[in-house]
Formats: sequence, C-alpha cells, structure tokens
Amino acid sequence: MDLNTLSILHDIFQEVQRKVDWRTALDTLFVSLRNSFVFDNVAIYLEDPHTKGLDVVYARAAGRGKTAEADVAWGQSLATEAITKGVMILLEPKHVTGKTGRLGMAHLLAFPLYIGSKLSGALVFIRFGGPEYSELHIQIASLQAFWAAALIERRDLQEARAELNSVQRQMRLQDDFVSTISHELRTPLGFIKGYSTSLLREDTVWDNATQREFLNIIDEEADRLTRLIEDMLESARLQSKTLQFKFSPVRIDALVRDVAARINVHHPELEIAFDFQPLPPIRGDGTRLSQVFENLFSNAVKYAPASGIAICMRSAANKIRITFSDKGEGIPEDYLPFVFERFYRVPGERTVTGTGLGLYICKQIIMAHHGNIWVESVLGEGATFVIELPVESMR
Amino acid sequence: MPKRILIVDDEPRYLRLLEANLRTEGYEVATAQDGVQALDVFSAQPIDLVLLDVMMPRLDGFGVCQRLREFSNVPIVILTARGEEQDRVRGLDLGADDYLVKPFSATELLARVRAVLRRAHTPTEVTGQARFFVHGDLKIDFARAEVWRGEEPVSLSATEYRLLLQFTHHVGKILTSEDLLTSVWGAEYKNDKEILWVSIARLRQKLESDAHAPHHIVTRSGLGYLMPPVEA
Repeated sequence: MDLNTLSILHDIFQEVQRKVDWRTALDTLFVSLRNSFVFDNVAIYLEDPHTKGLDVVYARAAGRGKTAEADVAWGQSLATEAITKGVMILLEPKHVTGKTGRLGMAHLLAFPLYIGSKLSGALVFIRFGGPEYSELHIQIASLQAFWAAALIERRDLQEARAELNSVQRQMRLQDDFVSTISHELRTPLGFIKGYSTSLLREDTVWDNATQREFLNIIDEEADRLTRLIEDMLESARLQSKTLQFKFSPVRIDALVRDVAARINVHHPELEIAFDFQPLPPIRGDGTRLSQVFENLFSNAVKYAPASGIAICMRSAANKIRITFSDKGEGIPEDYLPFVFERFYRVPGERTVTGTGLGLYICKQIIMAHHGNIWVESVLGEGATFVIELPVESMR
Repeated sequence: MPKRILIVDDEPRYLRLLEANLRTEGYEVATAQDGVQALDVFSAQPIDLVLLDVMMPRLDGFGVCQRLREFSNVPIVILTARGEEQDRVRGLDLGADDYLVKPFSATELLARVRAVLRRAHTPTEVTGQARFFVHGDLKIDFARAEVWRGEEPVSLSATEYRLLLQFTHHVGKILTSEDLLTSVWGAEYKNDKEILWVSIARLRQKLESDAHAPHHIVTRSGLGYLMPPVEA
C-alpha cells in the first residue's frame, strides 16, 4: 500500500466514523469513494428477523442512476442470491426489462453482509452502461460492503444500548422509590420503637424530665407517621390520577383569606400581609387549592419562623399570579430545581419534621388546574413561591 | 477505664437515643453527624467501638467503614434502616463486625454493643489508630485517602491508591505479581502482568524522587515487589 492511498483511506475513515447517524455515515462512505469506484445506485437489504423477508434499509441513487430513481426492485433477486449462496455475485451486463439504451445495460454487483458474524443481509451496487467492473473496483466495493456492515452493527449496538439505558433508568427510579419509602417509614417507626423500649428498660431509671422528653418524641413521631401515610396516599392518588377534582367557579382571593384566617387560629404569631388586586373568578377545585395554600402557609411557619409572610395577587393576560414571600433563610440555589420532587428534602434540613411530599402534592394540584408553580429564593433573604393559574381554567 | 463509643448518625434523634442509653451503661460517647466528621472525630481520640448509620450525607456508612478498615480494626456495628440482605452483606464484607436493623429496641442495642466489645476485647494498641502512614518522604492519610510526597500532595487514581495500599499493609513482605493483580484487579486479571508493570511504573513516577532508583516500591527480580521495612 502506498502512502498516498493510505492517507486517503485515513481521511475517509475519520470522516465516516465521525458521523453519529448511521445513514449519514453510509452517505459519506459512498460519496467519498465515488472517485475510485463509480456506481449509479446502491441498496442495502436486511433480513427481517421475524418474517425472514428482505427489507430495503438504505438506498441511494447517484449520477446517472438518478433518472432510474428509487426503483430498488432491480437488486432484490440478486440480494437474495448473495444471501443464499453467501458469496459475492457479479452479473454483467444484465438487460433491465422496459428500459432501453444505456439504462438497459445494468452491471450488478452484490455482497453478502455479515452483521455480528451472522449473515443477515446484502449490499447491491448497480451501474448502468460500461465500463465493466475491474478487479480494483470489486476490491473497493467489497471494502465498502464490509464497512457498511460494521456501520449497521454499530447502529444495532447504539439502539441496544439506548434501550438498556432506559430500562436501567426505570429500574433505578423504582428502586430509589421503594428504598426511599421504606427509609421514610422506618425513620419515625425507629424513634417510636427506640424511645419506647428505652422507657421500658427495667435495668435503669430515667428522671422525670427525660421521661417527658422521650414521650414527647414518641408522640411527635407517631404524628409524623400518620401525616406521612396520609401524604403518601394522597400523592399516590394524584400520581395515578384517581383523585377526583370538582371544578367550579372560585374566588381565589377569598379562598386565600379563609386559609389565612384558619392558620392564624393555630399560629396567631404569624403576620400575614395581603396585597390583592381585584381578580376575576377562575374555575378550580376550592378544596384542593386550599390544600396548596395551607401547605405554603405551614411551610412558612416551619422554615421561616417569625419572618411573616406577604401574599400578592395580580391578574395579567388570562392568568392570575399569586406570590407567597417570606423573609426566612431561603433555599440554596442548587436545591431549588428539586424541591417539588416527590420525597425530596433539602439536605441537612433536619430541624423541622417533614415528609418531602407537601410541595410535590402542591405541584400536582396546580398542574391539574393547568397552572404552574415554582420558587425563587436568595439565600439568607427569603423564599418566594409563585403560582400561576389560567383564568379560563378547565372548561 | 470506661469504653468510648463513637455514634455516627445524621438524625439528631438517633444520636440522642443512642447516647442516652449508652451512658446509662457507663460508656463514654462521642458523636458525629456525617461520614467525614466521623473520620475526624475518630482520629482525634481513642475509640473502642463505632456505631455507624448507613444513609448519611457526604460520606455514607459503607464508605466510612471501608476507610476505617484501611488503618484500624476497631469494632464497627452498622445501623441500617434498609434491612435488605445485600446491604447487610455489604456491610459485613467491608469489615463491619455486626449490624443492627432499624427499628431496634434499646435492650437489643445494648446487648449487641456488649457482645461486640466482649468479642473484640483487644487492647487499644492493637486497634492501633494509625491514621497516618510514613515511609521516607511518602506520607498517607488513610482517613482522607490522601497521599503526599514531602509537602507535595500526590494525586492517585483509585486503582493506583489500592495498589499502594497493598504495599503499605505488607511492609517488608515480597508481593508477587499474581498477589497484586488478584487483590487489586481481581482474579481474572492474575496473569495480566503488563497492566501491573504499567501501573507500578506510573506509581513510581508519582511517588519516587527517581523512578529508576525506587525507594518505596522495590523490584525483587523473579520474585515480586516490596516496600522495604526501613527506607533503603
């Protein structure tokens, strides 16, 4: 092999292999060698693994063949023959019925294709009119056939890998979900078990303060477990879309004031500032929307104690926008995209009990209203939850 | 001397539960809330037993267990909220002495702690908390998996570090290519000497002041490699 040929091959190899898509790679392969090997049509036939019939998976017409375009039937019988015999077949010149002149003189060349060492197809070149295929031409054509087989194998592997990845991702999600649930349920259970058996120990006496401390923990963790189970049922219903929404005209401003009043009964210390524009009623499920607002209020009480909360409502372009702003610690930027995910809790957030389901449930409810919810936050300055609901929501 | 127990858990309520119960039995208690902190607390004082939660931020319980075993044989009891067999097996494979599945009762916890301490029953020198390893100008911090040559930090790949540990754990002993290949790469690599040659060469490049006249990893022709007991 001389240096010049090698360097041409090197460039072609690089050019072809760089193409991610197999069809583009094949195009590049055939175009780049057309100077050394002239053909008019090329077609690749692959055996269908189920029907065992031959399918054309790739066909190109170049140069003179363009006039005889897309008629790939010409190669079919030769492809079958190459596959059956498992060898290269050279047929020239063959008279193509119905065509006259040069187009009537078809020189055909077929190669069996081994994909993953299994004979599974054939590649057919056709050239209308002369000259006849020389030995060099046949060598180049054979190289292209091998290469094409390798590119198709690469496609098969790419597809298999993509499928495998997606199956794996599904499994991992499922695994994570199961282990998260079991961890979430076992945590409060572990405290209840641990602290109650501590109190039951006969070999030691706890002082009164410690006894009360342990009993309080047991009480709180039992409540946490109850809440967790309720939230899990709720989120499972939302997930499976079996939760029924009852839509009717709702005045959002009145709804928020109601919830605020109820919250103030339990948390009189929470200062709530309202800034409402007159708003059109929307169609929504009042009970579910109240649940969302309740959740945002109780988050403010839990995560931004003594900061107060400011609620602002505006209407604009067929939407109403409601913002709940607190002046608490805020949420680190890295965690912002995840706070609406199921079971997500900001790492290190241990001072406050929570299930990691509240905001997930909020988001599902708002989505069922064709609305949107997100959070903006500057660390150390507070967090703002924004809800947008369409005014003509759910006809 | 009361035994000192290190409790590692990211849930303050577990720390409180364990600490309260252990103190009634006369143990001293040290606490850590994540894996990295655990290694620091461990290195700062003599510890007789480690109670180790699995799911933790930064470095999880399995990671802590693995690091600890690189330089200490302190008894370790894994606390896991995940009862699956593979988790328990993984903990034991990494060198844990026992495990306790959450939820557990206070009396069971104390019984396990007593049993493990009784079995271990080793004088503290043997639990030898040699967190640092020094060989000439080579220094290793096992707890942080960090390596220095003199004052210069050296960056090793995970494989190179595992290879180096083979030598630090068997100072003065000749290790054959097969030993090294099997313990670092796995049994199926035991004849793949070229990998070892390349890796030893890379390790020397990074650790030795003159890779052609090595002091830390020395070749014994026809036998294998060794880290000489005192710097040659």
